[in-house]
Amino acid sequence: MRLLKHGETTCSCEIRSSRGGWGDLRSRLVDAAQRRFGPQAPWARRHIAHCPRCQRRIASLGKVDLALSVIRSQPHRLDLLARANEAAIHMLSNRLRQTTEADQLRQGKTETPFVERLAGPQNALLNVAACLAVLALTKVGIFASLSKAQTRGEAAMKQYYTNQAGQDIADELFKARDHSI
Amino acid sequence: MSMFDRAIKYDLLWDSVAPEAVEENQRWILTAMHRYGHELVTMLWRILGNEQDVCDAYQTTFLHLAHHEGGRKPQWIKAYLFRTASNTAVSMLRQRIAERRTLSNMTKDSEQGPTAEVDFDGRHLAENLRSHIAQLPEHLRNVITLRDLGELSYAEVARIMGVSTGTARVYRCKAVQMLAMWVNDDEENR
Repeated sequence: MRLLKHGETTCSCEIRSSRGGWGDLRSRLVDAAQRRFGPQAPWARRHIAHCPRCQRRIASLGKVDLALSVIRSQPHRLDLLARANEAAIHMLSNRLRQTTEADQLRQGKTETPFVERLAGPQNALLNVAACLAVLALTKVGIFASLSKAQTRGEAAMKQYYTNQAGQDIADELFKARDHSI
Repeated sequence: MSMFDRAIKYDLLWDSVAPEAVEENQRWILTAMHRYGHELVTMLWRILGNEQDVCDAYQTTFLHLAHHEGGRKPQWIKAYLFRTASNTAVSMLRQRIAERRTLSNMTKDSEQGPTAEVDFDGRHLAENLRSHIAQLPEHLRNVITLRDLGELSYAEVARIMGVSTGTARVYRCKAVQMLAMWVNDDEENR
């Protein structure tokens, strides 16, 4: 019997993270296969409960998983990168060693990803984008169209009141409204 | 022979390389250090678990890079760096394991007493796994070091190794099964 440890040997977590239709499909297939044939399947659980060999296998796969997690979680000193860079830069020519880039490396500075670099002025950029959008809308004439729609709406309302209540009442109502504005 | 295989005999190369031998126009080495340094140090730390060894392996890796084909920039620097770093680290790990074995044999000979019971602690578990990883066949070892310790994606691992993504997954599966078998054997032998 060949047993797969959940999320370990088939690495469904990796597949799950991939985007797009194929990624989703693969992820679903893997999940379905895990449910039916993986160690979590009822028949597999029943088998493992009575099979010492499979128990040992599962236990040792778990130990490998645990040991990998322990290795990944072991911390190192914060200045390790700076020290490693210093050691490597020491082997370079004198001119390269004196560059600003080499100085940054000695301090352990790494290249910040583009997304993180954007995070700083993100708010300012958003404000500028909003202002630009308002300007563009004004230019296109969206606001003029809005005011035109409002005037037409008012005319239609006046017409309605004229038909229903008479000209004089409608005039009085809309005059009073114009004064209040 | 691939460009990576040529760059691995780190002990020999180390002796032959003099300090300050790198050409001044190799500014791209600093850029590569800037870009991949953090990931490399993390991977090396996980393989070696010793800070001095990490610094040595890192230095050796960049020396190899600087002297690659007479100082020419490799086509894909990341692949070159990770493969060289991984191989260098594993060479150092093997050397360390051999030294430790010799030392423990000497201690056993001198003591002639019962061996001390090894505690089942995290450090022992990690060291045990490191020694097993060093014994894996090259293709399986590379997948484990790049994928699990270097935390590269399968696509990157596959590209670095020159295999398909599916093959990289199969290699990792085999590597984990092999490691599990050895861990199991250790438990039984204890």
